[in-house]
Amino acid sequence: MKKIVFFALTIIFFVSCSKDDNNQEEYVPAAFEKGILVTNEGPFNNGSGNITFISEDYSTVTQNVFRNVNGYSLGNIVQSMGFVDNNAYIVVSNSQKIEIVNRYTFQSLDSITTGLDNPRYFVTAGGNKGYVSNWGDPNDYADDYLAVVDLRTNEITSTIPVPFGPERMVVYNNKVYVAHQGAYGQNNLISVISGTTVESTITVGDVPNSMVVSGNSLYVLCGGKPSYTGTETAGSLVKVDLSTGQVSQTYALGTTQHPTSLTIDGVNLFYSLDGKVYKVNTTSITMPGIDIISGNFYTLQAKDGKLYATDAKDFASKGSLIIYELSTNQEIQSFETGIVPGGIYFN
Amino acid sequence: MKRICLHIIFVILLCSASAYAQLDSIQQLPEVMLTDSKLIQFSKGFKLEKLNDSLIDRNASSLTETLRYNTAIYFKENGFGMVSSPSFRGTNATQTAVVWNGININSVFTGQTDFNTISPLNYTEIAIRSGGGGVQYGSGAVGGSIHLNDAYTFKKIDETKVGLHYGSFSTLGGNASTTQTWGDHYLNVGVNFINSENDYDYVEKNQKNKHGQFVRFAAKVNEARKLKRGVATWNSEYTYNDRNFSGSLNTIGIDAYKDITTRNLWQLQQKVGVVNTKGSFAHLFEQYNYFPNSEKSFNTGGKANTFIGAFQSEVLLQKKIRINGKLEYTYVAAEGDNVGDNSRKTLAAVVLINHKLSEKFNYGINFRQEFLNDFDNPFLFSADAKYSFSKQYALRLNGSKNYRVPTFNDLYWYAGGNIDLKPETSYQVELGQEFSIGKLKADVAAYYISSKDLIKWIPGNGGLWQPANISKTRNYGIETVLGYYIKFNNQQSLDLNANYSYTKAEDLEKEKQLIYVPFHKASGTLVYNFQKFSFYVQGLYTGDTYTTTDNSETVDRYTVFNLGAQYTLPFNQNITFGGRFKNVLNVYYENVAYRPMPSQNIQIFLNFNI
Repeated sequence: MKKIVFFALTIIFFVSCSKDDNNQEEYVPAAFEKGILVTNEGPFNNGSGNITFISEDYSTVTQNVFRNVNGYSLGNIVQSMGFVDNNAYIVVSNSQKIEIVNRYTFQSLDSITTGLDNPRYFVTAGGNKGYVSNWGDPNDYADDYLAVVDLRTNEITSTIPVPFGPERMVVYNNKVYVAHQGAYGQNNLISVISGTTVESTITVGDVPNSMVVSGNSLYVLCGGKPSYTGTETAGSLVKVDLSTGQVSQTYALGTTQHPTSLTIDGVNLFYSLDGKVYKVNTTSITMPGIDIISGNFYTLQAKDGKLYATDAKDFASKGSLIIYELSTNQEIQSFETGIVPGGIYFN
Repeated sequence: MKRICLHIIFVILLCSASAYAQLDSIQQLPEVMLTDSKLIQFSKGFKLEKLNDSLIDRNASSLTETLRYNTAIYFKENGFGMVSSPSFRGTNATQTAVVWNGININSVFTGQTDFNTISPLNYTEIAIRSGGGGVQYGSGAVGGSIHLNDAYTFKKIDETKVGLHYGSFSTLGGNASTTQTWGDHYLNVGVNFINSENDYDYVEKNQKNKHGQFVRFAAKVNEARKLKRGVATWNSEYTYNDRNFSGSLNTIGIDAYKDITTRNLWQLQQKVGVVNTKGSFAHLFEQYNYFPNSEKSFNTGGKANTFIGAFQSEVLLQKKIRINGKLEYTYVAAEGDNVGDNSRKTLAAVVLINHKLSEKFNYGINFRQEFLNDFDNPFLFSADAKYSFSKQYALRLNGSKNYRVPTFNDLYWYAGGNIDLKPETSYQVELGQEFSIGKLKADVAAYYISSKDLIKWIPGNGGLWQPANISKTRNYGIETVLGYYIKFNNQQSLDLNANYSYTKAEDLEKEKQLIYVPFHKASGTLVYNFQKFSFYVQGLYTGDTYTTTDNSETVDRYTVFNLGAQYTLPFNQNITFGGRFKNVLNVYYENVAYRPMPSQNIQIFLNFNI
């Protein structure tokens, strides 16, 4: 009997104390001027991504930068971020929008919420133009496009139909080079955009997933088709001569090797393959190069003698950013980030 | 004697129902037979709750709602009416078996049942059996099993019911059923539907649920015919769901889902000497189509046919020892855009023994061995016992080994499916206490479940997600159920039912609480009856629930209250009408992160008995 009364009381207790709110005020630094920015995609289906800031001297780490400054969550799947002058363009793919903020204060300036359909990346070229790669329906091979944003009005002024699965973009000589990784499928093209037209397409290896420009060369890392496609193809590094727009050299890996996350620092390329980071010297390329660091990283970014790498862990808990000194290949710092840290940028 | 025994079994059932109403059904029991009679006869040391009609009617929009308000089960629901998966005793959705007339109906593809695709109005009764039921119900009966049962009788019945309800968010529903008996025949036919715009406000968010429209249609035919020395039965049901999937707080919903299921079960029972034999044949069909964009016709889908043939014999020795032996052959053939064309065969041998040692002590031992399986053929067992110290107090104890076989998606999904998976296994024990003190009934259960080789999809090389048998969990907790009934006089009475559960479910590698398992959940309903009026207040509390595996983010705790009233016409008892006022306090709440549940809403209904 006593027990029963106890349980009844317990129920009443839990019902009655449920209204407490414990909104914690988080520390908001005045600015995010010098340091590392990490975009965190956030949990896949339900929830919000966010941005982590780590100061240059590693002394302060701020989580949830956007929400702390603006009072609302960024959105679902924070895919990437692009910059123009003082502005950052945060591409939130599943929320179908771009949030525009001051890159140093993260104060919201504007947002683009119409005309995007599964947006992926943002770059700027030719003065007042921004380009956003859009998958459209990721299963549809024919509805992919680049949205052209007028940066003065932050409106989409035109769209450029492109081949299936546009993903990362780089800009060289006011031309936009779009890697067609292939959305939910696979593709093997680079589109070259000039103004609002597709000037040409360059066929590279299967699944071009990342690229960098060095001198007048474009290095494209192609993952190759994965084994489950039934027609597995080798990963490769493709060098494109930007003065001619032609592939000048292809360096193939083994058929079962599928590299990701190409980044460059000085003359050295770095990428991820089978749980290791490889280094390749652009002056004498041999693949796979030498492995320098072990770890399964979600993305890599090299800068000024350091390699920044993220670990997304199980994709359902907070990830981390690990910083390596490239002269020794030793870890020097590690920071907690948000969930699924997918992009590394610098202020 | 038999009646006392039944009484003990149903002590727990009394808790969830008005005591007087329940007594009626106990007295009817010898005449009304469950299609799945094993459920009661071989679950004596298990917690078995039955939801009566009035409980179901109060929360009849979906099976999710029915169970959320009346049991300890937590539902991870992607917004009202959307995909809904249970967590029973902290286990995951594939570890809760849904059993229709004794047959496990969890999807061949996902290994789970979407509780919003099932109409709670389509069955004679809904029962909840807590704890491991793998021996009787096969794969997935780990946390517990939900039983959708049909019954039959040959006593005189001529009953036709029609109900209509209309409510907020352009929700219209209706049900009609008739039950007839004549001579050696029993026939029960029914249909019901619900159609909703489901465009509720997200409380305090200045947003609306714009893409959550759903329609569900269900039909059933149940037939029984008395034979010279036995009974032949046929149970059949059809369900159709067409749903647009809601967006979330920060995404716009554009996808949609359609599914169709049909289920048929034919059984022939014959008494041969002292042996009761039963031959049965079942066919289950499921089909789904997922539309990434509801405006376009492009979709991916799958369909599966399951054929089950079984033969069982049962003897009752010296009126004390009941032995049931069963052989069951299952053939599953499935094809889908993402899983190819595959099949599975399983032969299972099951032995169930229950021994009534004395009026006070009852125990059971059960075994299951499978053959022909693609995996290591599991050997499952369970043992249970119940001791009644007095009419006021009884103790029950059970332990079991259970399993969950990989689903067709786990094995064959393109891309990622892993054909090298093995079944998940789990061991558990439960100790329960049942109290019955006057009008007060209570049940307190403590359990411990240890599971290993849990199948989890993890990102592998090249970003490809693949399932692997990697995780280990430990769940333990306490569940309490309370029922109290007071009759003030001939005109007034008060009826209280309440549930509280504490659930600790730990990932043993991370040493963290599993996601979407709240530590605390409580619900209760207080009904006040005055003459032909009946009023109730219903409350639900769900504690903070983690949504990330490092327990860094949560879905906030919430308390929701519903009110309801109904009136039966004094001059025509066959007409009842009333209304329900849900989420009275207009609370913002969600069961999945960023997936708001409905704002304040009302519903009116009218029921006829013809």
